[in-house]
Amino acid sequence: MSQLAETNQDAFPILGKSPKDLRAIGAQRHLSLSDAEWGAIQAHFKTLKREPSLAEIETIAQTWSEHCKHKTFTSPIRYTEGKKVRTIKNLFAETIVAATESVKKPWCLSLFKDNAGVVAFGKKWALAFKVETHNHPSALEPYGGAATGVGGVVRDILGVGLGAKPVLNTDTFCFGRPDYKGALPEGAHHPTRTLRGVVAGVRDYGNRMGIPTAGGGIWFDDDYRLNPLVFCGTVGIMPQWAVKKEVKPGDLIVAVGGRTGRDGLHGATFSSANLGADAPSSAVQIGHAIQEKRVLDALLAARDKKLYGSVTDCGAGGFSSAIGELGADCGARVRLENAPLKVSDLDSWEIWLSESQERMVLAVHPKSLKALEAVFAAEGCELAVLGEFTRTGKLEVVHHERTIVELDMKFLHKGLPRVEREAVWTNNHAAKPAGGVTKKAGEALREMIGHLNVCSREWVIRQYDHEVQGGTIVKPLQGVRHDGPGDACVIWPHAATGDMDDFSCFAVGHGLNPDYGRIDPYWMALAAVDEALRNLTCVGADPSRAALLDNFCWASPEDPKQLGALVRAAEGCRDAAKGFSTPFISGKDSMFNQSKDEKGKELPIPGTLLVSAVAPVPDGRKAVTMDFKGPGNALYLIGRTNDELGGSLYHRILGRTGGEVPKVNPASALDGFKALHAAMTRGHVLSAHDLSEGGLALCAAEMGFTGEFGCLLDLDECPRDPRIYSNETLLFSESPSRILVEVKPENESAFLRHFGKSAKSAMVRRVGQTTANPIIKVTGLEGSTCLEESLKELKEAWQTALPRILG
Amino acid sequence: MSIKIQAANVHLIEVKLRTEFNDAEGAAAFALLREQGLSALKEVRTGRLYEVTGSLTANQAHQAGKDLLCDAVTQEFRLVPPSPAPMNGMNFWRVEVWLKPTVSDPVGATVAEAIAEGGLQRPTSARCGMLYLLNGRAVKAQVEKAVAKSLANPLIHRVVVTEAHP
Amino acid sequence: MKKPKVLILRAAGVNCELETANAFKHVGGDPELVHISELRGGKKKLMDYAILSIPGGFSYGDDVGAGKVLANQVRHTLTDLRQFVRLGRPVIGICNGFQVLVKAGILPHSNACDQSASFTVNDSGKFETRWTHLRINTQSSCLFFKGLPEMIELPVAHGEGKLVLKSPRHLEDLKKTKSIALQYVTEDGKLMGYPHNPNGSIFNIAGLTNPEGNVLGLMPHPERFMSLHHHPNWTRQTYRKAPVGLEMFKNAVDYAR
Repeated sequence: MSQLAETNQDAFPILGKSPKDLRAIGAQRHLSLSDAEWGAIQAHFKTLKREPSLAEIETIAQTWSEHCKHKTFTSPIRYTEGKKVRTIKNLFAETIVAATESVKKPWCLSLFKDNAGVVAFGKKWALAFKVETHNHPSALEPYGGAATGVGGVVRDILGVGLGAKPVLNTDTFCFGRPDYKGALPEGAHHPTRTLRGVVAGVRDYGNRMGIPTAGGGIWFDDDYRLNPLVFCGTVGIMPQWAVKKEVKPGDLIVAVGGRTGRDGLHGATFSSANLGADAPSSAVQIGHAIQEKRVLDALLAARDKKLYGSVTDCGAGGFSSAIGELGADCGARVRLENAPLKVSDLDSWEIWLSESQERMVLAVHPKSLKALEAVFAAEGCELAVLGEFTRTGKLEVVHHERTIVELDMKFLHKGLPRVEREAVWTNNHAAKPAGGVTKKAGEALREMIGHLNVCSREWVIRQYDHEVQGGTIVKPLQGVRHDGPGDACVIWPHAATGDMDDFSCFAVGHGLNPDYGRIDPYWMALAAVDEALRNLTCVGADPSRAALLDNFCWASPEDPKQLGALVRAAEGCRDAAKGFSTPFISGKDSMFNQSKDEKGKELPIPGTLLVSAVAPVPDGRKAVTMDFKGPGNALYLIGRTNDELGGSLYHRILGRTGGEVPKVNPASALDGFKALHAAMTRGHVLSAHDLSEGGLALCAAEMGFTGEFGCLLDLDECPRDPRIYSNETLLFSESPSRILVEVKPENESAFLRHFGKSAKSAMVRRVGQTTANPIIKVTGLEGSTCLEESLKELKEAWQTALPRILG
Repeated sequence: MSIKIQAANVHLIEVKLRTEFNDAEGAAAFALLREQGLSALKEVRTGRLYEVTGSLTANQAHQAGKDLLCDAVTQEFRLVPPSPAPMNGMNFWRVEVWLKPTVSDPVGATVAEAIAEGGLQRPTSARCGMLYLLNGRAVKAQVEKAVAKSLANPLIHRVVVTEAHP
Repeated sequence: MKKPKVLILRAAGVNCELETANAFKHVGGDPELVHISELRGGKKKLMDYAILSIPGGFSYGDDVGAGKVLANQVRHTLTDLRQFVRLGRPVIGICNGFQVLVKAGILPHSNACDQSASFTVNDSGKFETRWTHLRINTQSSCLFFKGLPEMIELPVAHGEGKLVLKSPRHLEDLKKTKSIALQYVTEDGKLMGYPHNPNGSIFNIAGLTNPEGNVLGLMPHPERFMSLHHHPNWTRQTYRKAPVGLEMFKNAVDYAR
C-alpha cells in the first residue's frame, strides 16, 4: 500500500452533517455547492452506505458547477411579468435550442453538444466556431487571465469533433472607462491596467500560436470596472469527415500536451463564486502558447492519420471533466500515477482536478498507440496513457493502487438537483425622452465620434498579427491609409485548406449593446443579432447562411430582477433566430459578474449579451469594404429610420434618459440584407457600412474619412417614420437593420432591381452622393444645411481619443 | 582551479541590454511608473534574470549565459553573486519581478530545455524574472507600491526591491 | 516542368509554414515541411533540397530573444548550411526566419561567421502589424528581387524587428558589399521615421542579402502578398502592379530550375 493512503485526504465525511456544517466545509474548499446539491450528494452516498472521498466531492463540485452545467439556463424558473406568471422548465431548451430546431438548417453539422458549433463550409470543409469568456481570471490577473482565455477557446476548437485548425481569433471586451478617476476597492486593478494587460495577453497568445486576431470590439462603461468581460473566440476549419467523434470501450485514455501542476485548481467553482479579495492565487495561470502550438501541430497530424476516435480539451475541472465527459456513456478507469507532473508533491485529488493549461485527452484504439506516440514525439510533445474507457458506467480513479474516485457516471452527469428560481421583469422605462442638455448637431457629432465606444481601435488592432496565415483579405483597418473602421474581416483560409485557387472565404460579425439592455434586454438581444448580421452583410457574407453564437454575461441570477432580465434576453434570442431564420450553433454563459465596490455595495455589470455570427463569403474577390471609393457616386440608405434614441449614444452624450429603444423587424431586415448581398455578388456595390452607435451621421462620416471623399446627404430622402420632424433624430437615431451603400451612377438601376418590391415600399432610397471635397454636408428636413463638418477634423477626434489615454 | 560540485547549485544569470542600445521596454516601464507617481524617475533600463537550479557548475552556467541567454551583439551578462549589493542612498533601485513558485513559468521551461539541448545537464528548474533598473530618487515603499500597481501583480508575482549601484 | 524541392523549416512555435509552403507551391515549387528534429536525427538532409525557407513565427516563443533558440539549433544542426549557401542555392528567412539567419551568423555575410547584427524591441515598444512601403536596393543582386519594380509594398508584423549593428563601421561594410536588400521608405521613396520605419531599424533596413544575392532575410512577409486581394487597397483598385510575394517566390523557384 502506498503511504498516501495514510494521509487524511481520502476521508471526507458528510453523512449526518447539517446543511450549515456542509456550507462551512464547502466555503472553506471553494466548492460552491448549494444546500440542495449537498442534499443530493448526501442521499446518494447514503444509498451507497459509505462516505465520499475528497476527490469524489471535488469531482462532483466541478462537474455540477455553474461553469460546466449552466444551471441558470437549464433549471426551472418561475417568471413573473406584470401580473402574468409562468414556469419555464429549461430556459436554454425553450429559447435558443427550440429556435434553432425550428429553423432547421441542413448545413448545421454539430449543435450545442460538442466543444463548438459546426457548420458546413463548401462540400468538403466545415467551420467550427466558439466564443468563451474568461472574466474572473482577467479581473484578477489581466495578462494571464486573457491569455489563458485565448488558450482555452483555441483548445475548444482543437477538441471539437476530431479537431479543427484554428484560422481566426476574435476578441470582444467590456471595461470600465480608462479615464476612470473614482475610488476602487482594495486589490482591484484600474480599468486602464486591465485593458493593457488583457490586450497584451490576447496578443501574445494569439500571435505566438499564429492565429490571426481580427474581429471583435470594446465597450466602455464604468459598471464593468470591477468585473471586466473578456470574450475570446476562435474559428476553426476541419474536413467534414472529422466532425464525428466516438469513444469505444477498450480505447485508451491518452493525455497530451502540458504537464499537470498545482495551477488553476478550482477554476470552475471559482468562476461561479462572488469575486472577492480572498481569491486563490491558483485560480490564475500564465499560458504557454508554444506548448499549445505543439499540441495543435501534433494533434492535427494524428487526426489526418486517423489515430484516435475522440478528443476533448482539459478546461475547467481538468482531467475530471475531460475524462468524465468522454466516458460519460460508457465508463472510465484512470491510473493517475501515469500523469506527467510539473512538481512531485501533488495530492491525488490535485492531479485529478488541476486545470493546468495546454492539455488534451484522446480516446485511442490500443493498436494506434505506437503510431500516435511517434507523431507526438516528432513535435516534442509529451503523451501519457492514463487508463482506458470501460463498459462499467463508472468513473474509477486509482492512484498508486488506491482508489480515490468510484462514481456512477449517471449520478455524476444526471444527478444534479434542479432548484426553481424566481425571475421578475418589470418594464419601468419612460417612453418619452427627458433631461439632459441640448447640443448642435455638429458639436454632438464631434463628441460622439471621439467617444470611447466609437473611437478608433487602431491602438489595439495593430498589436495583433491580424494577417498571419496569409488569408485576411478584408482587413480590420480599411481605406486609403489602412486605418478606417471595417465592419468585419474576410478570411481566405488557404493555409488550412491548402488551396490557393479556391476563393471561398468567411466572415465573422458581432453585436453587443448593453445600453439597450438597460431599457429592455429583449430588444437588446434582437439588436445584437441584427448588428452581427448586418456587419457580415456589409463585407459580402451571405446573410442567409449565417450561424450565431450567444454569450451571456450577467450578474447574480439569484436576484429575481437579474434573472428576469436574462429571461427577456434569451427570449429575444429565440425570436431573432426564428425571425432571421438563423440558427444558434453554440453559446456560453457567465454568471455572478458582480463585486463589492469600495463602499462594500454590490456593483453588478449591466446584463450583457454578445452575439457572434459567422457566414461564408462565397467569393472573397467580391468582398466589399466601407470606405467611399470616389466622388459623384450615389448613396443609398437601406432600412427605415424610426424615432429610436432610447439607449443611444446621442442620449448618452446629452445626458438624456428615456426614449424608445431600437426595435428590430427581422423579416424586413433580412429582405434588405439579402437584396444587398445579391447586389454585391453582381459587383453593384462600391462600399457599404452599417449604421450603429451615432446613426446615419456617424456612419457617413466614417465612410468619408476612411475613403477621403466627402458626401452630401438630404434627410428628407431618408426612408423613415413620417412622424419624425427632427433632423437630430434622423441624424442620430439608432434604428437597426440600416446600411449606407455607395453605388456607381451607371449601376443604380441594376442595384435597385435587387430590392424588387421593397424598393417601391421605400425601404431603400437614394439619400445623397459622394463628393471630392472632404466634408460631410447634410440638408435638413426644412431644406437648409443642418450639419457641415470637416472630415479631417472628425477623423482626428476619432483617432486620438484612445492613444491620448493609453499613450 | 578545482570546481566544487554540489547536489543542487543555484545560479542567477543576469542579462542586460547594453547601454548603447535604445531600451523600448524600459521606456514603457518608465512611463508606467511615472503614472504611478514616481515623478523623480529619470530612466528605466531592463534586463532578464534566469535562476537555474541543478547540477551546473559556475563555468557551465557561464557558458549557458554566453551561448544561450545573451545576445552577442546587444546584451551583456553576468552571474550575480549571492552576496547583497552595496547600498548608495536612494538614487538607484533594482527591481526584480519573479513569478511565484506556484505559477508556471513558460520561459523558464524553454530555458531548461535549451540548456539540456546544448549538451549540458538538464536543470531541475529554471525560472525567468524581469529586471528593472531605476534611475531616480525615490523611497523604497514608494517604489514597491508603484511596481505593484504597474509592472507586477502581487497575486502572481514576487517583487524584490533593493538599492543598487548606478 | 521540374519542381525544385523547397525545405520549409519547422520547429516549435514556427507558425507561417503553411502559407509559405502554399506560396512556393503556387509558383511551381515542391515544398516540404521539415521539422528541425528530422534534420537533427539525419532523417532528412538539407543538401537534398534546392531551396531553404525559414518561415515566420515565434520559434520557442522567442523566449530569451527573438529566434535565439532556433538560431542556436541551426548553428548546431544545419552544419551544411554554409555549403548550401556557397553552392548558390536560394535561402530566404522571413521575419522570425530573418532573425534566425542573423543570430546564426549567416547574415550579414562575414568571413568570420560571427554574429555582427541583431534585433531589439521596436522603438514603439509594441508588436505592430502594418503594410509598409519598401525600396529594393537596385545595386544589390538579390535573386529574389529580379525584375521587380524598385518600389514595393509588403506587410510587417513583429515586436522585435529593430535591426541593430555591432558598430557603426558595420553599416559602411553593408553598404560597400551591397548587402542591404530592402529599406522602409515613404510612399514617394524617402527614408523617414516611424511609422514608415515601423521599428526604428538602423538606416531603415528591412532586409539583408549576401554579396552573391542568393540569401535573403527580411522582416516583411512576402507570403502574405501572393494575390492582388491581399493588398489592403484592392477594393479601391489603386494597386496596379503584380503581387510582390508571388514574383519573389517565382524568382527563387525559376532560379533553382
